[in-house]
Formats: sequence, structure tokens, C-alpha cells
Amino acid sequence: MSGIIEVENLSFGYISESIILKDMSFEVAQGAFIAIVGPNGAGKSTLLNLMCQVLRPKSGMIRIDSKPIGSYGTQALAEKVAVVRQEFVPIFGFSVMETVLMARTPYYSPMGFERQADREIVDDALKSTDTAQFASRPLTSLSSGERQRVFIARALAQNSLIMLLDEPTNFLDLKHQVGIYDLLKTAQVEKGKTIIAVTHDINLAAQYCDEILLLGTDSSYHFGKTKTVFLPEKIKEIFKVDIFAGKVGQESFFIPLGKYAKNGKQINYESRGSEP
Amino acid sequence: MKQLLTPKRLTINIGLALLLLITVMFACSIIGTETVSLKAVFSGSGSQASVNPDYEIFVRIRLPRIILAGLVGAALACAGAVFQVLLRNPLADPYILGISSGAGLGAVIAVISGFNWTLWGRSPIAVFAFAGALGTVWLVWFIGRLTGKFHVTGLLLAGVVVNAFFSALMMFLTSIAKSDQVYATIFWLMGNMTEGDFLALWISAGCVIGGIAALFHISPQLNALSFGADDARIMGVNIFKTRTIAFGIAAGITAVAVSLSGLIGFVGLVVPHGIRLIFGPDHRQLIPLSGIVGAIFLIVADTLARIIVAPAQLPVGVVTAIIGGPFFLILLVKYSRKVSWLK
Repeated sequence: MSGIIEVENLSFGYISESIILKDMSFEVAQGAFIAIVGPNGAGKSTLLNLMCQVLRPKSGMIRIDSKPIGSYGTQALAEKVAVVRQEFVPIFGFSVMETVLMARTPYYSPMGFERQADREIVDDALKSTDTAQFASRPLTSLSSGERQRVFIARALAQNSLIMLLDEPTNFLDLKHQVGIYDLLKTAQVEKGKTIIAVTHDINLAAQYCDEILLLGTDSSYHFGKTKTVFLPEKIKEIFKVDIFAGKVGQESFFIPLGKYAKNGKQINYESRGSEP
Repeated sequence: MKQLLTPKRLTINIGLALLLLITVMFACSIIGTETVSLKAVFSGSGSQASVNPDYEIFVRIRLPRIILAGLVGAALACAGAVFQVLLRNPLADPYILGISSGAGLGAVIAVISGFNWTLWGRSPIAVFAFAGALGTVWLVWFIGRLTGKFHVTGLLLAGVVVNAFFSALMMFLTSIAKSDQVYATIFWLMGNMTEGDFLALWISAGCVIGGIAALFHISPQLNALSFGADDARIMGVNIFKTRTIAFGIAAGITAVAVSLSGLIGFVGLVVPHGIRLIFGPDHRQLIPLSGIVGAIFLIVADTLARIIVAPAQLPVGVVTAIIGGPFFLILLVKYSRKVSWLK
């Protein structure tokens, strides 16, 4: 049994001299929740764009549901992969309901209207993202946390196997960050979605994700169970920053330490002490 | 707060708009320098010896002109709506990609070369303007493709450059032309309704109405495209097909409109925005309503152009700009709170 996404010897660079992703291979199991983590410029969003064919690989191969990604038509790929990109507002003022319904565009009746089944799928997506109460409001009248939930609802309404998210908690406060991750976890557990999120938040990733893909700026990568990838030395090495690592209950967390961190030595000592 | 568009609501709105269109067409066909008695019109064309003047004016002069104005208005308004979403730019109008200068250049060449023939009842000016318009759009599309797959910025820049170049050529040709030729050119550029041949009218009507029907058919895809090409494709919309069809049809019906009436501004900008402000941005409603309201707008404008300085006539392009500008400003102020992209 092979994974729902198989990446094989993938290489990519925007210009020929510089390679961002080099000879990368990994496999994502169906129903997994995975975070792609790494410093700026490591190619996180690039990898996400490769997995939804916004970009084409330079060499290597990506298989979705055991078929090469290039062999899918636009609509067929949309049935497999839904994407939530970094927050984005359309040029004209569509309402929340209209926005989420657009996910059903390929399935509209010949007259150009949604069918009953589409309405049910959309209602379900609105309900599970807790956006139904402002379904008739224009997208632009929402806060960024609410809007992000609408775009997740739109991705859910595509009824795809896989959901890709590019920094879904960007610009959100603590409560809304946790809210989004709760939402994604629910979609994983209850709907069996395979979820891949690019994120800068190591702590939330450590809390929610089953596996981590850690990318380095030198085209190195680590893929594996969250516990085996998120080791203080590894994070220190990849992000090139001092880290304090600790535990609360079963959850590990990591705090970066800057040049001006007070009493830095003592904390560093603590961090060594807490390592397994 | 707004309600979702349903087939029933759409049908009712289109039906009401069509009713208004027919009323306006009827009202405007009665208004004019000559008073026409309807009773006399319905008595028929009269015999060979004694022609019925009321019938002649109504059926042979006013009605074709009203139909013509309606077609041009519908084509320009729909093309404007489509270019605004394709280029994701609220300021786009049907002429934004250089169609105006291409058509103008074609018209000037036709005037200067002094051709004297007709094609399907159309003068050389109309034929050359049509060819110029389509040729320019093709050129801009081609240059735009060279800059990237479908880069909005690339297309807009190509449009600006081609526009400037063709305008320069046009000015050069105008400056070496004779004065009566210059007058004919300027008169054409201001936009005019001239009663043409019935055959040309029917062919154009077929093109415009067919084009609008096709645009309506792809309107759900145009909705998705308002979120940008990548988002639309991620949702499973074939963006290459949608864009090519939308672009081709919008350019085609604009070229037809320009060849019928010269350059009439403002319709393609004002009407789609007005509809969006009142009825929302859904293209399934925007496209048909823009077509109908665009027709009404230009019929009224042309009727004003006929009667304001009667017995002389104003260029209709002047009227559309004069009533379109303030009208749009009122809409803008009144509804700007409803709409987000104005912020």
C-alpha cells in the first residue's frame, strides 16, 4: 500500500543556477496531518505549489493517489487536492456563501447553477468551519481569522482527499491560531482528510501534526514522526538560532533565544537538561 | 446582507429588464423631430404610388437605428464586464487593450485611401475599423503571451504600448490628410449611430447576441476567475479555455460594435459597475443585465443625441460621456459602502 502523495527524487529551482529543492523523496500516508517547516527561502511554499501543479518540477516525480500529478486534468486534480493559499481577497465583493459555493463550479448544472447536493456539501463545510452565521456577509467585512476560515470552508467544499495550506495561521492571534488547527485536526479525524500545512509555528505543528517535513536552506530535508524530527539540536541547526526546549505534559515546545535574551547561559543550561 | 442568486431570481430580474428594454425601445421610436402617428404606422407601408411616411420613418429609419444602438450598447457593456474580470482591474473597459486605436487607425486608412465600395452594406470605414480592432487585440494578446503565460500586467503594458504606437500612426496619417478627410475621421472617432443596411444589422445582431449567450454560459467560471487564475484552477476551473473564450468573444463583440458606430466611450465602464453596485458581482447576473441595461443606456443616449440640437445631431459618444459621468458618480457615492473593492 503506497501513500496518497509520493514524492520521488524531486528537484526544483526558479532559475537554473540555484536549486531550492534537491533530490527529495518522501511519502505521505492517507489521513495524515503533516507540517512543512523551515526557514524563509527553504522552499516550503514552492513545494506546496509543486504539489498542486502551480509549479512544474525540474526533475523527479510527484504522484497523487498513485497517478503522476501531470496526468490529471484541472477538474480531476481539484477532486484530489484543495489548496488554501495565503489570504487573498477577490477584486469584486463576493459574499461568504458565494465564495464557498465557487468550490462547486465544475459540478454546476448546465444552466450554471449549483445542484441540491452542492448546497448540502457547502452547508456542511460552513457548519464545520463555524462560518455559517455570517454566510451572507461580504468577504471583505470579515476579520482575517474569519476570512481564513471561509477559505478553509471553500477548500473543504471541494470534497478532495488532500488539503494543502500555506501558512494558515499567519496574522492570527493565539485563540484563532488554535481555532484553525483544531478545525484542521477535526477535518483529519472526522473526515479522513490528508492535510499538509506550511507553517512557521513549530509549537503548533508539534502539538497537532503526526509527521514533519523540515526543510533547510541548503536543500537538506528531514522527514519523519514529529518526535524524531523536532529535536532541539536539529531545530537549532536548521534555523541557526538558539532554542530553549521544554515540555508541558506530553507537548514539547520550543522558544527561540535572541542575542539580548536575559541570563541566556542559564536557560541554555536548562535546555540541555530537558533533553531526553 | 444579500441573498443568493437562484435561477428564479435571475429569470425574474432578466424578465423585468427585458420589459424595460422593450418599453424604452418603443418610447424612443416615437420621439423625434417628426411626429409619428402609431395608428398610421400600423396601417402598413402603403401602396407603390402613395408611400406611408409614418411607416417609412418608423420602420426604415427609427427602428433600425434603435436596434443598432441597443446592439452596440449591449456589446460594449458585456465586453467591459468581461475585461474587468479577466484583467482583474475595475478600471478596464472594452478599449483598454488598444482596440480603440486599432479601429481608429483602420478607419483613418479607409478614409484616406478613399475606397468606395461596400461589404454586406457596410462602408470601408466599418470594415477597416473591424479589421483594425481585431488585429490589434490579436497583437496585444500575442505580445502578452511572449511576456508570460497570461500575465495581466504584461497584457496591460502591451495594450498601452500598442495603443500609443497606433495612436501615433493615426495622428501622422491625419496630419497629412485633406481637411474633409480629417473631418470624416474625427466625426467617426466621436462615435455615431448611422442607419445601415438591414443585412449588416442582422449579421451584427447574431454575433452580439450569440456572443453574450456564450459569455453567460461561462459566467460561473468567470466568478471563480475573480479570485485569480491560480485559485480558479485549484478549484477545478479550466482557466485557459475560459480565458481564451472570454477574451475572444469580448474582443469580437467590441470590434463589431466599433465597426457599427465608431468609438463610444463610457458604456463599457459605467454599466457593469452600476449593475455590480446594485445587484452584486455574480457574473451569471452581471453579464445578461449588463447587456440589457447597456442597450437601454445607449438607446436613450442616442435618442437624446437625435433631439437635443434637432434638426442637427450630436455624436452619441458625447452624450454617453456627459450623462454617464455624473450618473456613475452618484452611484459610486450612494453605494460605495456596499462594495468592498472601492475601499
